[in-house]
Amino acid sequence: MQRRIKHFLSGIAVLLLIVASTNVASAQNASDLKINEILVLNDSNTVDDFGMHTAWIEIFNSAYNTVNIGGCYLTDDLSNPTKYWIPTGDPTTKIPSRCYMVFWADNHPTRGIFHLNFDLDGAKTIALFNADGRTLVDKVDLPLENKPDITYGRPTNDSEQWVYLEKSTPGANNDYTRKKTAGESFVEIDPYGVGMTAIAMFVVFSALAILYVIYKNMGRFFIRKAAGTVKSKEKVETKVVKQVKEEISGEVNAAIAMALYMYQSEMHDHENTVLTIQKVSRNYSPWSSKIYTLRKTPR
Amino acid sequence: MGHFFEFIVEHLSQFLQFTAFANMTVGHIIMICIGLAFIYLAIAKEFEPMLLIPIGFGILVGNVAFAPGYQIGVYESGSVLNYLYFGVLQGIYPPLIFLGIGAMTDFSALISNPKLILIGAAAQLGIFGAYCLALALGFSPTEAGAIGIIGGADGPTAIFLSSKLAPDLMGAIAIAAYSYMALVPVIQPPVMKLLTTKKERLIRMKPPRAVSKTEKIIFAIAGMLLTTFIVPSGLPLLGMLFFGNLLKESGVTKRLADTAKGPMIDVVTILIGLTVGASTQATTFLTFKSVGIFMLGAASFVVATFGGVMFVKIINLFLKEGNKMNPLIGNAGVSAVPDSARVSQVVGLEYDKTNHLLMHAMGPNVAGVIGSAVAAGILLSFLA
Repeated sequence: MQRRIKHFLSGIAVLLLIVASTNVASAQNASDLKINEILVLNDSNTVDDFGMHTAWIEIFNSAYNTVNIGGCYLTDDLSNPTKYWIPTGDPTTKIPSRCYMVFWADNHPTRGIFHLNFDLDGAKTIALFNADGRTLVDKVDLPLENKPDITYGRPTNDSEQWVYLEKSTPGANNDYTRKKTAGESFVEIDPYGVGMTAIAMFVVFSALAILYVIYKNMGRFFIRKAAGTVKSKEKVETKVVKQVKEEISGEVNAAIAMALYMYQSEMHDHENTVLTIQKVSRNYSPWSSKIYTLRKTPR
Repeated sequence: MGHFFEFIVEHLSQFLQFTAFANMTVGHIIMICIGLAFIYLAIAKEFEPMLLIPIGFGILVGNVAFAPGYQIGVYESGSVLNYLYFGVLQGIYPPLIFLGIGAMTDFSALISNPKLILIGAAAQLGIFGAYCLALALGFSPTEAGAIGIIGGADGPTAIFLSSKLAPDLMGAIAIAAYSYMALVPVIQPPVMKLLTTKKERLIRMKPPRAVSKTEKIIFAIAGMLLTTFIVPSGLPLLGMLFFGNLLKESGVTKRLADTAKGPMIDVVTILIGLTVGASTQATTFLTFKSVGIFMLGAASFVVATFGGVMFVKIINLFLKEGNKMNPLIGNAGVSAVPDSARVSQVVGLEYDKTNHLLMHAMGPNVAGVIGSAVAAGILLSFLA
């Protein structure tokens, strides 16, 4: 039985390892940042905080917590990954969960931390590097020809594909069409809830059935173990009793009983009756005061 | 002098406008009556007093009509009640209550007879029955999911799920869930009697075996891992439930377990009860939707009881004589710990004064808690 449980558990462990090795977990830090949308030729698109039409790069925080982009690097040259260092210690570099941040590629870094020290004229690649300046977080190869005022970006937040977007959305979701909620989509294919009932009951039953199978087998194991312990205990006890019976005669038993009786009687008859009264004096201290250690009676 | 009187009159009339009398509507009066009824049921009939008194009083608090804009009401940002209500809105209180429930629950009955776990799954039929009915009545899918969870007969789970799926209906759903949990001794027995024969009600079950400490510890750890691996969205509830149970069963964290099942759960129960009650302001609560929710809630309890009892009857077809289960414990699969298990005991004793079903019913009862949390996780995954 122990062997079977061991095999079962090791099987589960192997299965979990296989499944886990195929998954990629979200790190919830700077590595979750993505370059999301880029405008190279800005003729009449969004203006920056100086009223200028300049190229811009949008970063998306795909994590489910706030990520600080401060300390990371933006570059248009992979051989120089630390081209623009995004300053640290500034509260505005924090990107809330699933939100966006726009950097102006105008080669005017003196205009603020969101203005880069390069522009996108002739740029072939845009890359974001981690704070160590070596780890690549995200990289985009720009198309050879850029259309004025048409942005190049991911059609949805989670897309790996890059396309020309119909509408530029700096600082906002690239996918602006109304999406059905999970519930709405589910109800379209299951308007009466029968499918949901069947699937959900199956999952609930499966979850609890797995518990049932495990505990049924575990219960058997523990019952057998308990029975084994009791049997071996009984065996040892009967063996000892047999040996004792064989070895000790009735006279010896009587002598032991008499000795015990006498010892107990003696204990009873000569009790210690000396009383000692000793005064104990304690100096007052608020630390030892009873007032501070007792609860007040509720009124 | 005339100017002075004018000033006094003006401010007096302004004061009068601020009083609850000036802002009172019929809806507020109805809600206050409902609150008083809850308090009466809790004190006079002892129906779930720990829940109905805070909720009932919360209803009174929430329905004292006031002039808006002074950070008084539960829905006004920055008000004290709003801060306390944050724990409900963000689903903070329910997992803490589950921690306490875990620390006070003995899963021995379940571990000694694992078959009982499956009854806890069958009784979740009430959730999905109510979900189907709610869809048929025109509720949106997320609203239907939140309403369905009333059938889980588990207040914290109902609050947790409705706060995620349909925050607008949370007050009505929570009130319905707790009301029907209190009314379990009234709702369940007729259904149980209707579905069982006299012979079935007299079935005696084998006494549960003694469960070792090791088994209980393994149950807490394996139970958490298994259930949450299948439904990770149930993690806040199931994680806390089994964590609380591990505190209890490990034997080395008695102080933590005592806090979780004592002062902590008491504090959270007070806060959740009061704020959920206060969230039932007549202006937001008294709608046709609320009436629909109450009707669906009652139906979900009936379907859940039906599911549990019928499942035991079906399982009995495959069990040998002597191993059969008494179908009267089927109702206990709907959670509502420990009231529904108590109902099994009471109904069982009506037919055989020496047939005590309480210990057996505690198995499906605690399995129901796990089952409803798993069901909530599924609804959250599919509908959120």
